[in-house]
Amino acid sequence: MRIRRLVAASAAAASLASVLFAFQFGRRGRFAEEDVPVPPDADEKTEWVFGRLRYSSFRGGSGSWGVRGSWSTDYPKAERQFVQGVRRLTRLHTRSMEQVVDLDSDEIFNWPWIYGVEVGHWDLSDAQAAKLREYLLRGGFLMVDDFHGSIEWEIFTASLSRVFPDRPVTDLTERDHIFHVLYDIDQKVQVPGIVMFYTGRTFEQDGVEPRWSAVTDDKGRVMVAICHNMDLGDSWEHADEPRYPEQYTSLGYRIGINYILYAMTH
Amino acid sequence: MFEFLFQYPARIFAKGEFVFQSGLPVWILIAAIVLAAAGLLLLNVRSSGVGRVSRGRRVAIWALQTAMVSLLLVMLWQPGLRVSSLKPQQNVVAVLIDDSKSMAYQEDGKSRTDAARETLTAGLLDKLSDKFQVRLYSTGSGVSRIANVTQLTSAQPSTQLATSLKEAISEAATLPVGAIVLLSDGADNAGGIDLESMSDIRRQRIPIHTIGFGKEKFAKDAELTNVDLPARALNGARLAAQVTFRQRGYEKQKARLVVRSEGKVLASREVTLKNDDGTQTESVLFSPGTPGPRTIEFAVEGLAAEENQNNNGVRRLVTVESKKPRILYLEGEPRWDFKFLRRAIDDDASIELVSLLRTTQNRIYRQGVAGPKELENGFPGTPEELFAFQGLIIGGVEASYFTPAQQESIRLFADRRGGGVLFLGGRTGLADGGYNASQLAEILPVSLPDRKNTFKREPATIEVPQSGRESVLTRLDDSPARNAEKWKALPYLANYQEVGAAKPGALVLLDAIPTSKGRFPLLATQNFGRGRVGVFASGGTWRWRMLLDQRDTTHATFWQQLLRWQVGGTPDQVSASTPNQVLSDRKDVSLRADVRDKKYNPVSDAIVEARILAPDGSSTTVPLPLDPLAEGVYAFDWTADKPGSYLVEVSARRGQTDLGKDVFNFRREDGVAENFGIEQNRDLLTKLSEETGGTYYQPSNALKLAEEISFSEAGLTVRETRDLWSMPVIFFLLLALCAAEWLLRRRWGVV
Repeated sequence: MRIRRLVAASAAAASLASVLFAFQFGRRGRFAEEDVPVPPDADEKTEWVFGRLRYSSFRGGSGSWGVRGSWSTDYPKAERQFVQGVRRLTRLHTRSMEQVVDLDSDEIFNWPWIYGVEVGHWDLSDAQAAKLREYLLRGGFLMVDDFHGSIEWEIFTASLSRVFPDRPVTDLTERDHIFHVLYDIDQKVQVPGIVMFYTGRTFEQDGVEPRWSAVTDDKGRVMVAICHNMDLGDSWEHADEPRYPEQYTSLGYRIGINYILYAMTH
Repeated sequence: MFEFLFQYPARIFAKGEFVFQSGLPVWILIAAIVLAAAGLLLLNVRSSGVGRVSRGRRVAIWALQTAMVSLLLVMLWQPGLRVSSLKPQQNVVAVLIDDSKSMAYQEDGKSRTDAARETLTAGLLDKLSDKFQVRLYSTGSGVSRIANVTQLTSAQPSTQLATSLKEAISEAATLPVGAIVLLSDGADNAGGIDLESMSDIRRQRIPIHTIGFGKEKFAKDAELTNVDLPARALNGARLAAQVTFRQRGYEKQKARLVVRSEGKVLASREVTLKNDDGTQTESVLFSPGTPGPRTIEFAVEGLAAEENQNNNGVRRLVTVESKKPRILYLEGEPRWDFKFLRRAIDDDASIELVSLLRTTQNRIYRQGVAGPKELENGFPGTPEELFAFQGLIIGGVEASYFTPAQQESIRLFADRRGGGVLFLGGRTGLADGGYNASQLAEILPVSLPDRKNTFKREPATIEVPQSGRESVLTRLDDSPARNAEKWKALPYLANYQEVGAAKPGALVLLDAIPTSKGRFPLLATQNFGRGRVGVFASGGTWRWRMLLDQRDTTHATFWQQLLRWQVGGTPDQVSASTPNQVLSDRKDVSLRADVRDKKYNPVSDAIVEARILAPDGSSTTVPLPLDPLAEGVYAFDWTADKPGSYLVEVSARRGQTDLGKDVFNFRREDGVAENFGIEQNRDLLTKLSEETGGTYYQPSNALKLAEEISFSEAGLTVRETRDLWSMPVIFFLLLALCAAEWLLRRRWGVV
């Protein structure tokens, strides 16, 4: 009996430890929230806030936040560095602290601009897809980034098709307003993640060509801005990394700012 | 009874002069009365019989005797009344019979015209003919001679008594007209007889006797008396009409206000009728339809057993314009409301929004511009450039962003150009933007606090104050109660800005109720010069879009209504109009044009012409001369000969420079006016007769007119004196005095 209790306790402890481990570390390693100090003006009430979409991970099973998924990649350093750039380069009244939102409550409607990362791993339930559809049709804006290759595209579009069964993904052209709201981004290149340090390549998996695409509303306004085969989040997160090329950071910031301003003007 | 006692009608006493015909001086009469009184007093004192009674009774008997003797003495002096009277057979009496459509109204089984015929043929006409030459006229908007009463048709489209009487007097100017007799219901379509016309008629010194026909009050009737409605509307705009009506016999009952165009119901609203005889005004919202002239019919319906159903509806003309006014929106920083406001106007086919957004310190993002050159240097630097727009929205931009010249242009944009300016709340808007200390503070409808930090990113709900309940700007639902509830139920605003109280003349249409404390004007408007200025002290309506269902149109409806108000009344350089777009049984139309240059200064040396397209397709061009009393205004009175719709295109040029053109419509409708106000207007008829020395009669006593009409100072008259001594009342008075003395003596035992 005593041995059985010991085994059960050990099993419970092991389960708890594994859950905590999973919560602390993402796909690419340790969750870095504790390394990034909370800004002193984190509670400031501002016009615009970087909303980070927390979604159910394909690997973690739908509807469960218990197992840490890919939504938190680069979190929170990417956005906290990025919003400093937004503050410096635009007149947008910007909060220094991001807002994590999910699709399980109506809270998301208070944050009209959200960023979804690693959406090649998301797995939206029908209810979540419906909420995202409503959010976007009301005027919300979703920027998705940092997913690569054909397999992740398939996973991404599987959920996206539940959001908009009737709306195709269309490629953006250089003439689209979204590339000219503030910066005229005529020459776009693939913005790599830091995996480039190890592989020496700017692409991941079979995602050789960067793809700039979108889902638009009935008037042709971008609702979902899709950055496939690139990692703008890393360009923000590692802007202070000497090894990360400045040209990618610069482009990453410009694209991010254009997407924000587009969302607030169209 | 009066005539029985006093021998003559009361009218003679009113007009006549009291005289003594004996030729003896009046002082002798007074002396004789005094002597008689003294003698009687002496007799009473010495009389042994009377001496037995008390002093008071002796005084009473003496007073009765004195009165009797005095009366007899007065009769000896032969009192009389000196009056002027018409010479028999030498004077003309003009009989004017109202021949308008309202006289065809049936009451008690016969029309008013029938009643007038009966009154004349039942002896009055004969009696008048015995003494005078009688001329018969039918009257409506003018007069025409008729041979006899069978020629009356009750077909004249309107009644204009002043015009008719003046025409009758004028026509008979060479004749000895002794009096005018007017048979009418007094239902005048010109709104009564104005003071000037009354003065003109009175100056002729011809007494006008009136005989009134028709019920003075219907037991059950509702009448639509007025509709206030803008003459122009933007394409797709909703209009608010103020419908005024009165009723009797339906107090507290329900009726429907219905708006139609070309047979199609545009709006319908249930109203609860207020007190009998009271005037009630209700607003009704509707969309007038596609561009072009639209005839809109308003009606009060659903009332049972009305005595007159022809006065329940009126028509108005609205010109729905196809042009899209342009609004310039300057925003100082990216804001969610900027995006959602743009989206709301994107859905509005009637307005074009051009926006300038300061995205960075050095960059302005332009949207909606006509070409790459438009506004390439940012906010317009000259009045001409700014005045090309019809509306202006100033978002979160500090006042110091504008140069003093630009601030003056903005002020003139409202004041002189007649545009609409809307200020929005924001981090650098209103007081936080320093507008309280700028020259633009003058045009704001609210006073601004002299402090910063008035912009709060705190939640605030909204309430509609009384002053906003009837406004088209705040109407989310046609029912005022449901409208107020809708505003209360809206998601809270993301932010609000504290502003001071509304200025005199300004309207607060919405209040912000912060969850923390207080209440502040949220939406306030006022007219400024020729234009309009509004303040919307928030930048947080985006939550209405994000927190309400994607199909909900509240946000778009509000902004579209607000921006249409902003530009709906903005005139162009040439602005043409007429005071009455619907001429009800009238021909005269006043054409008016306000002409301005590019800076919207009045132009007084322009050549202005109106090309009028008549209903039959013919066109006429008339020059509009400068109105010497109004700067830059050109006016001309024209006669619309045919009923139907007219189109007027007014163009103006100065030398070789084209100043612009404007188009409006008007419509002449016949046979409408007589449906309204058909109760007998006894007040008008009485006043007319009293002012001219005549008398008002009812048909039942109209025969007296034949006697009384003789006493007139107009025409050929003779002065005659009528004896008063033979009045029965004198005889009765003497008898009463004698009898009273005798009875008192018997009672007191002094006989």
